[in-house]
Amino acid sequence: MIRRGFQVAVRLGQHRALFGGPQVLPRLNPTSAFGSSTDSLVSRFCPEKTDLKDYALPNASWCPDMLNLYQEFLEKTKTDGWIKLPSFKSNRDHIQGLKLPSGLAVASDKSDWRIFTRCIPVEGQGYEYVIFFHPSEKKSICLFQPGPYLEGAPGFAHGGSLAAMMDETFSKTAYLAGEGLFTVSLNIRFKNLIPVGSLAVLNVHVEKIEDQKLYMSCIAQSRDQQTVYAKCSGIFLQLQLEEESPQ
Amino acid sequence: MLRRCARLLRTTGALCGPKRGRSFSSEVLHVDHSLPNPSWNEDMRLLFDQFMKKSEDGSWKRLPSYKYNPTERIEDVKIFFPDAKLLKEQMSQAQLFPRSLGEGVGFEYAMFHNHVEDRTVCIFQGGPHLQGAPGFLHGGAIATMIDSTLGMCAILTGGIAMTANLNINFRRPIPLCSVVVINCQLDRVEGRKLFVSCNVRSMDEKTLYSEATSTFVKLDPKKKIDIRASGAFYTNLQ
Repeated sequence: MIRRGFQVAVRLGQHRALFGGPQVLPRLNPTSAFGSSTDSLVSRFCPEKTDLKDYALPNASWCPDMLNLYQEFLEKTKTDGWIKLPSFKSNRDHIQGLKLPSGLAVASDKSDWRIFTRCIPVEGQGYEYVIFFHPSEKKSICLFQPGPYLEGAPGFAHGGSLAAMMDETFSKTAYLAGEGLFTVSLNIRFKNLIPVGSLAVLNVHVEKIEDQKLYMSCIAQSRDQQTVYAKCSGIFLQLQLEEESPQ
Repeated sequence: MLRRCARLLRTTGALCGPKRGRSFSSEVLHVDHSLPNPSWNEDMRLLFDQFMKKSEDGSWKRLPSYKYNPTERIEDVKIFFPDAKLLKEQMSQAQLFPRSLGEGVGFEYAMFHNHVEDRTVCIFQGGPHLQGAPGFLHGGAIATMIDSTLGMCAILTGGIAMTANLNINFRRPIPLCSVVVINCQLDRVEGRKLFVSCNVRSMDEKTLYSEATSTFVKLDPKKKIDIRASGAFYTNLQ
């Protein structure tokens, strides 16, 4: 069904933006730009009470650098307007009550579907990360520690794993800053390799929002900023989620 | 040309050579994951058979793929990174991403190389643990697979090389658990730089999902790299 939906979309709207014609995607309301404010998006995204497991919390595998910086930013959530983002097993858990616009929505999330950056559940083996978001300045910081299952060159993280971490940080930032949903493009310049088990700090800024797209930049570096691991620019497409129809 | 490719494959670890000094069972080490398994859906199997048929006349070759970096590759890297602390425990745990996920839930793929046309093709089935937006493949998972395929194409031509630049345009989201074909080719070589590009299409080639261009850089055996020095590796080239 979803595949047919796509083929319809492709036939209808080749000329328009990316992957849909106006008949498939909801029309943008020109007067209200994008519906939800950052604050309402954040409060929905960060539920006060939930039974869901938050993977973005310290555990025994976190290196001292990661723990220290985490504590530093936790302090900043009290004083400087930062927010620690929870990280659930599936993106669907972050948007409870909402769904992708019709034509793109899949009927149900099978129970074993999981967000890529939480694909390796064993502590310390895969992606260990936490993202802090600053709503008023539209910026984020991600503390990322790649584990041995993310290896590329022996002893170092696979380039793809850093690309994925950058895409994920862009994704959460784009969503909260402006309902960005899908990656349009990524342009990554790799500078140095990240040793497995060490901390990489990713700083993301929203540069501008224009033509239904969010333009962001990211720089991944060591904690002391002496080593730059990579620089990246990313563009995300804005798309409003719809209310889920009552079952 | 084939012999050169075979030698390159050995040095980069794509082929498993004689085991030296690793402590796990040889069965685990020798498992070639680029072969059909129960998690492969019908589309994936069909594509695999099509490419195996093409391999019969010798123009295409299936590339084996293992979970662990074999000892030869580790030795090669040590030449370039003499200060790298490769802890023994870490080494014994490490797995080659993206083979580190369990069967069927992550990256199921097989790569084929055409040495005459310098093309590498990867058939890829993205499993349920690679989700991004609900029902679709994560952009980062696509980027990982593109990086792996472009990298293989670069390494087969130029020897050990590392990604310097990766530029991906996502045109349509890829539905989770579907099968796509990543077509890579080497565009040109300039000194130590290799320019590789690819596109990601549906099985029937009618849907273009993404396109990417990249630059890989061949490692220079004469230059030892201090991993602590910032920008050491790439700045003199960019």
